Amino acid sequence: MKFFRSVGEVFGYSPFRSLAQHARMCGRAVGLLQQQFEALRKGNYDEVEELREEIDELEHHADQIKEEIRGNVTKSLMLPVDRHDLLEFLKVQDDILNNCEHVGHMVTFRKVRAPEDVWDEFSVLLSKLMEVVNNYEEMVERITQLVETSFSKKEVNRALEYVPIIEQLEHECDLIQIGLHTKLFNLENADPIDIHLMVTWVVHLGYVANAASRASDRFRIMVLGR
Amino acid sequence: MDLFLIAAAIVGFYLAWNIGANDAANSMATSYGSRALTLKQIIIVASVLEFTGATLFGKKVTHTIAKGIVPIELLDHNLVVYGALAALLSAGFWITVSTYYNLPISTTHSIVGAMLGFGLAAVSQNHLALDQIKWGVLAKIALSWVISPLFGAALAFVTFSLIRFILLDRYASESVEHVFRYLQVLTACYMAFAHGSNDVANATGPIAAILGYSGTVPFWVLFFGGLGIAIGIATWGYRVIETVGRQITELTFTRGFSAEFATATTVLLASSFGMPVSTTHTLVGSVIGVGLAGGLASVNLKIVQKIIFSWIVTVPVAAAMTISLYTVMVVFL
Repeated sequence: MKFFRSVGEVFGYSPFRSLAQHARMCGRAVGLLQQQFEALRKGNYDEVEELREEIDELEHHADQIKEEIRGNVTKSLMLPVDRHDLLEFLKVQDDILNNCEHVGHMVTFRKVRAPEDVWDEFSVLLSKLMEVVNNYEEMVERITQLVETSFSKKEVNRALEYVPIIEQLEHECDLIQIGLHTKLFNLENADPIDIHLMVTWVVHLGYVANAASRASDRFRIMVLGR
Repeated sequence: MDLFLIAAAIVGFYLAWNIGANDAANSMATSYGSRALTLKQIIIVASVLEFTGATLFGKKVTHTIAKGIVPIELLDHNLVVYGALAALLSAGFWITVSTYYNLPISTTHSIVGAMLGFGLAAVSQNHLALDQIKWGVLAKIALSWVISPLFGAALAFVTFSLIRFILLDRYASESVEHVFRYLQVLTACYMAFAHGSNDVANATGPIAAILGYSGTVPFWVLFFGGLGIAIGIATWGYRVIETVGRQITELTFTRGFSAEFATATTVLLASSFGMPVSTTHTLVGSVIGVGLAGGLASVNLKIVQKIIFSWIVTVPVAAAMTISLYTVMVVFL
């Protein structure tokens, strides 16, 4: 529309909805990994491949959101949180997805054979991981409420209650990982290459939980560092 | 002479119409952005209260524009007619051009620059001495242009901070916002009233000068200006309200209330001092104030540069255009 003057420009780009959307993608990625491991266990390799593609697409879409945020959060914007804190938080949150993508790739490298109880353990680890990212998602979801109430003490406390929960769950992931590692290194009659690859999976699934825990810490720094 | 009066009436009306279509619309867009009022309601509220503000409170600023800058009582009446008409034409033209390019210029700055141009042209033709232009008043006006956005920002900051610490920190944000929905209807009215009281002068000031202004503004001149603004809102402003309102979605009722309350108070204060200020610039200041109080998801500070730039450009351009038009009229008529 021509012939109008506008004060609308004073309202700048708001990154908060996109941040929450990006966080929701982390949850979806872990959900896809869960499905992928189920398919793997059943020897459904076509499905494993399809899911890899799906995770790739998801990660690509998330990257676009990340770029959108980074491209728009300029120095001339006045945000209710520190710009550097926000970008650092986004970077760590993005690591959750990157690590999911790595695992999604690594499970397609080789048709691994493993006893049932190993698959059971993987399924336990992934459920725990799902719990981590679900809590993580809920926490980041709170950001819009925080902005709406101008970071009222009550809302800040409610959002930050998630941080120790996530840290505790991440610790539980660590314990499951230790159990899995011990089990894998003591497998009888297993192909050493299979063992090697599975150990790598465990390590990288650990990175996913780790990234979620670090991102929740960055979230706390961002929310408190105003 | 009648021809000049008709020309002044037409251009003056166009100016008032443009003020309604753009400035009034912008100051009402915050109420539409937060959805405190529907578009229809806003048009009715804005038209009625802009008109009321203009007719009841528009006198002092009209006085400042009419004879506060150029001492028209010292000039031959014919020259005043040329000068004021030239000022109206220049301001009207400059506003049209910059509106076309979506520049955030102020009608107030244009008309003040134009009246200054008229004074300088009269000086150049030895009808006035340079020190007879009321530099003191001009300095005050310029100061009010700096102070009004800052004051708006400070007031909005305090208002929103109070709402935040007294209400938002204690009660559920949904119920607080719900109450402020009704309060924002009041500030929307307040805003329209304040805007009418200040901005009508941009059109009525030069018209009053042409009519041989002596000290009291005829009521029907303000009526004419107020009507022009109301028609501007109804015929074009609603589209501007819709467009601008769509850009303002992050504004909740408490934020809208704070920004509008601060702006309207600042502008009404300026009106009571007879200072012509820019309502839109004050509103931008107030929105930034709410942002500083942590009330907004994001404020784009680039607009401040744009406003300062348009400020620096508007006054000389409007003055220069008026000088040329005035000189042409004096030489050829």
